[in-house]
Amino acid sequence: MTNSKTRRKRLSVIAGISVVAMLISSCSIQIKSEPDPSIPRDTMLIAADKGSPMFEKIFNPFLFNKRVAASYVYEPLTAVNVLDGTQTPWLAEKVTLKDARTIDYTIRQGVTWSDGEKFTPEDVVFTFNLIKKYPTLDVKGAWQHIASVEVDGDHVIVHLKDDDAPAADVISLTLIVPEHIWKDVKSPDTWRDENPVGTGPFTVGNFSSQQYTMDKNQDYWQSDKVQIQHLVLPAATSELDIVTKGFDWAYSFMSNVEGTWGAANPDNKNWFPPGGVISLVPNLAKAPWDNVDLRKGLALALDRDKIADAATEGYMGKAGQTGLMLPNQEAELNPEIPNDGIVKQDADAALAAFKKAGYTLVNGTMVDASGKPFTFSVTTANGYADWLRAIQEVRKQLAAIGIDITIKQPQPAGYQQAIQNGDYEVAMGGMGGGNVFQAYNSLLSSEFYVKNGELAPSNFQRYSDPKTDALLTQYKETIDPAKQLQISHQLQKIVYDQLPVIGLYYGGLWGLYNTSKFTGWPTAEDPYAPPQTYDSSPLLIFTKLKLANKDGE
Amino acid sequence: MVYVLRRIGFFLLTLWAAVTLNFLLPRMMPGSPTDAAIAKLAQNGPVTDATRKAIEAQLGVPDGNILEQYFGYLHQVLTLDFGVSYTFYPQSVSEMIWQAFPYTIVLVGFVTIIAFILGTLIGVLTAWKRNTWLDALPTLSGSFASTFPYFWTALLLLFFAGYVLHLFPTSGAFGPTATPAFTWDFFMDVLYHAALPALTILITSLGGWIIGMRNAMINTLGDDYVTFAEANGLKGRTVAIRYAARNAILPNLTGFGLALGGVVGGSVLVEQVFGYPGIGYLLFNAVIGQDYPLMQALFLMITVSVLIANFLVDIMYGVLDPRTRR
Repeated sequence: MTNSKTRRKRLSVIAGISVVAMLISSCSIQIKSEPDPSIPRDTMLIAADKGSPMFEKIFNPFLFNKRVAASYVYEPLTAVNVLDGTQTPWLAEKVTLKDARTIDYTIRQGVTWSDGEKFTPEDVVFTFNLIKKYPTLDVKGAWQHIASVEVDGDHVIVHLKDDDAPAADVISLTLIVPEHIWKDVKSPDTWRDENPVGTGPFTVGNFSSQQYTMDKNQDYWQSDKVQIQHLVLPAATSELDIVTKGFDWAYSFMSNVEGTWGAANPDNKNWFPPGGVISLVPNLAKAPWDNVDLRKGLALALDRDKIADAATEGYMGKAGQTGLMLPNQEAELNPEIPNDGIVKQDADAALAAFKKAGYTLVNGTMVDASGKPFTFSVTTANGYADWLRAIQEVRKQLAAIGIDITIKQPQPAGYQQAIQNGDYEVAMGGMGGGNVFQAYNSLLSSEFYVKNGELAPSNFQRYSDPKTDALLTQYKETIDPAKQLQISHQLQKIVYDQLPVIGLYYGGLWGLYNTSKFTGWPTAEDPYAPPQTYDSSPLLIFTKLKLANKDGE
Repeated sequence: MVYVLRRIGFFLLTLWAAVTLNFLLPRMMPGSPTDAAIAKLAQNGPVTDATRKAIEAQLGVPDGNILEQYFGYLHQVLTLDFGVSYTFYPQSVSEMIWQAFPYTIVLVGFVTIIAFILGTLIGVLTAWKRNTWLDALPTLSGSFASTFPYFWTALLLLFFAGYVLHLFPTSGAFGPTATPAFTWDFFMDVLYHAALPALTILITSLGGWIIGMRNAMINTLGDDYVTFAEANGLKGRTVAIRYAARNAILPNLTGFGLALGGVVGGSVLVEQVFGYPGIGYLLFNAVIGQDYPLMQALFLMITVSVLIANFLVDIMYGVLDPRTRR
């Protein structure tokens, strides 16, 4: 009996030791990138499309469940660099605004569909009419702005419903499909388009449910600029896959990127430009958040450097209160706003602002006029780790001035519902984005204003101000860039002074790329496109990349 | 006969309750399918109102009051037509389930059977050889391994056997260039890909069967008829298998019935870690995407098969153990 007891003891000790040994050894294992030798030098392994967990062959570019590579097949009228809003003419050679309600697209000549048919202005008009007839396909909302579309020689003229100059930026993003194929499709809103015919740089190669390839379209209208011959898109794109399997391009946040992605291969690089401003979104339709002094106090109480560090491991910086993404949108910045719009932490000024709003610090607790402690909840989406870390840092900093906040984290769908219905006190959210007008319009326009309890499509904080609306309308009416810039300056000032949302730090675009096979990637020095693998960025990038020489450069 | 009828009545009642709960539960989750789709899109940039409307229209988000939805749902249950999936639009729910079903049945079903047979046999052995190393080793390591959560064992195996030693593929049910077909090569490829997830389930579930069998068996071994059999000079193996194990296996058999019923649910965590395209992974995606039609179909499938398994075990008990018939 005793004998078996000691035996058991010995066994459990051995088992315990082996577990500890396993844990220790796992800490010191450096994962190396091991590219598949069967992938040739002109073929790019790209982690762009995530299987769930398998791929379904859906290339209909208007369905939200499409394969990501559908946007390598179908092209828009202009390609946009969402970092600064620059538009590059694409299937339209030139875009002119005749006046604030007429857009004139000069359609490019000499473009063919991948089945050899000629691409014509009629295809463009057909596409617009298609997404009018099937509104479920109008994912960018082009027909919210368009009154009618007509062909005029090599031109396509789009008549807008109203003076609405910035709408051109939205309309131009529509992906154009071939009339000769789509006109025979019975229900384009459920059609999977398994063998897409587009104008883009790639066509679908081998497709299986775990990996598909794209082959270069040899008749592409910019064929000379595309040196990549094939793309390989596997369904397995977990972080471990990205690091170990020798990917040439991936879009993914990675913790400790230098130690993981960077250490796996000397040619692994990363670029994380800002893609939006992560902000605190107070519910302005709910007291006390309608009080601008309270919002000011909150803004002044926060140390944004620490919040950015906590949220993004130091990869992204603090953001200004203008909603602009610097440095890429520097040209847009209002020079009268101090310190590039960044609100510095200032405890005294914060306490003064709180006092003005009726809140005082008593025995280390912030209390309102009736002596009740000031607390509020912040709503975020479960699983958005960087947002959560940011709020935890905010909570720490606010605790220092006697404010206790609670964190609510419903599932993403529940979070989305809460902010749309105004069922929150303060929420985490984004503001900004490539197009200055669209960003301010969706943030500030009272067109989207609804009461709490009703569904708001944007402007979740429920901001409404006639003066701001007037500025937005003026912006729509002008086609003069100087005038637009001037209005943009005023809008920045409003966001800076009124704090409809409180900017914290930049949300990143997580580009990971490898330079051993391909060079010419967008970088901080040459930010011609964001490093994202979806929408129109890949078109800009595929036409820039060069094959690297054998010796590396 | 009365017993069987009573069981059938009870079965139908539970079935109706399960079917109704299955309708209500997904609707009590905060947020709608559109919200889920938008939350996913919003991570890539702001989503406009127009996009929202387009998605809503694409999904055909349920309209009508809750009662109409309920009757529509009952109709779907009876006709087994669950419509179009929200997260995998425009694919239909039955299409998605038929794709995932074979992989889960092969992986989880096969492993559950192996784990039951192996675990029960080892349990008999440990009880028979109790207090020797043949008892200590399987019992101890079995309970040790089964205290690990599935995903932890899965992650360890994935990292070491998959990424460090490159012994096994790290995700998927078959190789990236393979196409599903009824060929020997494809079958071997599937087995190769199923190895790690199967091992995970085996490691973590074996312990339960061993200990369950061992405990029941030790009880029976103390019974008079076993002592009597031994005193009669019967062979050790005969006593262990024919006398003790045969009676001790009843509780384990119940567990096995229920486990088989649960097989169709797949193994959410294991399938998730290994990117294995089974029912478990599908269920995970359905819940994340608030995919009511898919969720309802899956939960229905799981509850019904557990209920049927339960029913069969009940009936079987009536046959095996006359006392329960009263």
